Amino acid sequence: MTHPSFEAQLDAYVDGELAAVDARELEAHVAQCAECTRFRDGRLALRAAITARVPAFQAPDALRERVRVALKTAARARAPYRLSLRAVWRPLALAASLAVVALGSWNLALQRAAGETLADQVLAGHIRSLMPGHLTDVVSSDQHTVKPWFNGKLDFSPPVHDFAAQGYPLLGGRLDYVDGRAVAVLAYGRRQHLINVFLWPATRGPRGAPTTRDRQGYHLLHWTTTDHAYWVVSDLGPAELRDFARLVQQADSAAAVPLYR
Amino acid sequence: MESSELTRFEGAVLPHLDAAYTLARYLTRNASDAEDVVQDACMRALKYFDGFRGEEETSARAWLLAIVRNTAYSWRRRHRADALATEFDEGQHSHAVADDQPDGDLLRRAAQETLGRALEQLAPEFREVIVLRELQGLSYKEISDVAGVPVGTVMSRLSRARARLKEALT
Repeated sequence: MTHPSFEAQLDAYVDGELAAVDARELEAHVAQCAECTRFRDGRLALRAAITARVPAFQAPDALRERVRVALKTAARARAPYRLSLRAVWRPLALAASLAVVALGSWNLALQRAAGETLADQVLAGHIRSLMPGHLTDVVSSDQHTVKPWFNGKLDFSPPVHDFAAQGYPLLGGRLDYVDGRAVAVLAYGRRQHLINVFLWPATRGPRGAPTTRDRQGYHLLHWTTTDHAYWVVSDLGPAELRDFARLVQQADSAAAVPLYR
Repeated sequence: MESSELTRFEGAVLPHLDAAYTLARYLTRNASDAEDVVQDACMRALKYFDGFRGEEETSARAWLLAIVRNTAYSWRRRHRADALATEFDEGQHSHAVADDQPDGDLLRRAAQETLGRALEQLAPEFREVIVLRELQGLSYKEISDVAGVPVGTVMSRLSRARARLKEALT
């Protein structure tokens, strides 16, 4: 046995990687060999020094986020049937609209078609935001940073709230273009999921409870307040998304009617 | 890919992101290169995830680290052809190996200590066995899976790498 390979055996012994029978044999030898005892103690000291002085690193949060978003995008690219589903959907929607029109409900059909077009645009905006580098124009979890950022970029000032305490941290904001106008988008996180809130000034006033739509595995919620039209879109489960929507609604109405002042 | 499949992948892979980043960090000796390598590696891992399913003997961590390692090596070959060319040479005194790529923040501070510096100066195939064994506690078998070499080679590389680090300590 050459010397280096004997040292490797000793290393394996120190590492607890020798078969039990070999380990016992080597242990017996080390016990009565000063040189081998010195070698073993030297290795134990080296291990302690490495542990003390050579750091293991933590993946930065920004890297985690990058990976998560890139995975989502890549996973979606591997599901082409979703795109074809989208292609199939348009004529179906048109057919559905025509069927309604045939029943004479012009107004309803027009409203419905407008809603579906908006849903399409919002969903496209959401998917675009999942592509690397597209989520936020202003990255901040601070509502007092995000809100002023919109100044001068929009003709309205969107209400911005952080829901980190409720488990939906604000990630940032960005601009998008929906329904022929620039709109505010707020990005929120929920575990591995992203939630986008699209909002712009309301044109038709408040209308009842949120309506829901499911498209390509995403859930969309839409409602209108006195001031704003809201669209919330995410791949988060519908129940949690409704909880989130409730938080947004409560924050919005609390801001509009300052009960606690 | 179904979203449940993505969830399964994230569950298997994301817990090992720190280990992946640490290995990439020591192989590239650079924080931002390490981030790029880890992201690339995760994309590759997603692509090969179907292949991983069957191999129950390989832990998800070793499987991801193997991909990180290969990504780091090919990444470095592409970006810095000379960086991995420093062969581990028994006859070469460690101080003669130029630190061809000084690094920022944490690694630089560690490198200022002799041990960290000695580790940085090891050739990558010796550096990686130290990182995998001493920082991440992989078994010889797992290291052999990650590095794609027989267990005997892992043993001898680990022993030679430690001999070199020991010199730096004394």
